Amino acid sequence: MIRIITTLFVLFGIAFGYTQEKNEVEKRVKKSEVHEQAKEWLNDAYENKRKVKWYYQTDGKKEVFEAKLKHDKHLHSVEFSLDGNVRNIEILIDENELAPKVREVITNFLETNYAKFSISKIQIQYTGDGDDLEDVIDEDEFENITIKYEIEYYGKSESEDELWEALFNAEGVLIEKRVVNLRATDNLDY
Amino acid sequence: MKYFFLVAFLLLSLSSKAQNDRFIFGFFPEASLSYKISEKYSITHKIESQNGLFDSNNLNEEFEYEQTLTDLQTFIGRRLSPFVKVDVGYQYRIEEGENTHRTIQQVSILQRESFYRIGHRIRIDETFFQDAPLLFRARYRIKGQVPLQGLSLDPGENYLTVSNELIYMIQSTEDDLENRLTAALGFYFDDKNKLEVGFDYRTDDYLVDNRFRHRLWFKFGYYKTL
Repeated sequence: MIRIITTLFVLFGIAFGYTQEKNEVEKRVKKSEVHEQAKEWLNDAYENKRKVKWYYQTDGKKEVFEAKLKHDKHLHSVEFSLDGNVRNIEILIDENELAPKVREVITNFLETNYAKFSISKIQIQYTGDGDDLEDVIDEDEFENITIKYEIEYYGKSESEDELWEALFNAEGVLIEKRVVNLRATDNLDY
Repeated sequence: MKYFFLVAFLLLSLSSKAQNDRFIFGFFPEASLSYKISEKYSITHKIESQNGLFDSNNLNEEFEYEQTLTDLQTFIGRRLSPFVKVDVGYQYRIEEGENTHRTIQQVSILQRESFYRIGHRIRIDETFFQDAPLLFRARYRIKGQVPLQGLSLDPGENYLTVSNELIYMIQSTEDDLENRLTAALGFYFDDKNKLEVGFDYRTDDYLVDNRFRHRLWFKFGYYKTL
């Protein structure tokens, strides 16, 4: 019995001795914690959608609120600054929902750079002023809107074998990409 | 914490109904240490120990501490892709009576979903005894992990994990099945330090007449990566 208790103490000791700096945070928040202006914008654009989940996100520097909701059978993530200004809208889409020309350019990029690849997630990203973004949702108008595609894909070439998150412009041309670091799988493997 | 004991108590009272069944309850601490030795290869050491507190086969049915066994494992793993890893391992088991050697081969596959993830593990192992034939086991484990705050797991947050493993074993001409169901609360201190505290409910002797065994372990596992 003493041995168990000793083991317990040692384990907890290791655990709490480790105080790592917390950088990335994403957590669910109550609607009441979100700036009124953000809620108003959302109500106007999405016409009083009821099922909205709110999140607070930070990468250590930038802090935002994000609203997640379903609209026209798609998952929408709307990003707001802390003072309630809408920043962008991201919509989760299927590969076959990409415009044929854009899809062709992106597929061409993947085929040229990787021997093996598979797309796991595509989000179309709309950035612009609050009024223009509102028109995207309720009028289907895309005036003064910057369109980008955020794509997560697995790509294997001779030198690289990674999961990537990449940003493509409206024509499907790569802007930037970064490696997605997967969390350690030790608790799933052993 | 009080829920853990509540569950333990419920299972204890359940088992006393089935007179022929054997029921064991105890502590099961485990700790693993993993580190990379190259871009693709990694080493994992694991220690786990089963400590019985209650055994329905004991006549007086009182709590009685008994260290059942301790396993020392080492694995060498090769990552085939970000989602697939293969491992070969060796285990030395310290147990009253006879210490045994075991060789292990496994493939683990990571399935990522929008906010949770699932680990599939296919494992075969061979246990060598001095005077008994080789014990061969084939096992499959599915383990899910869900964050409890928000949609992504960040340092300092908690998660819930549930797993089930089915084990088929054969020794000479006798075979049997074992099932292991676990549920645990996970503490994600950061990506290099995780603690899981929960229950591991094991049932075996499915294919043996008039003998069925339940084992409930209060488990706490620490996962450390360098």
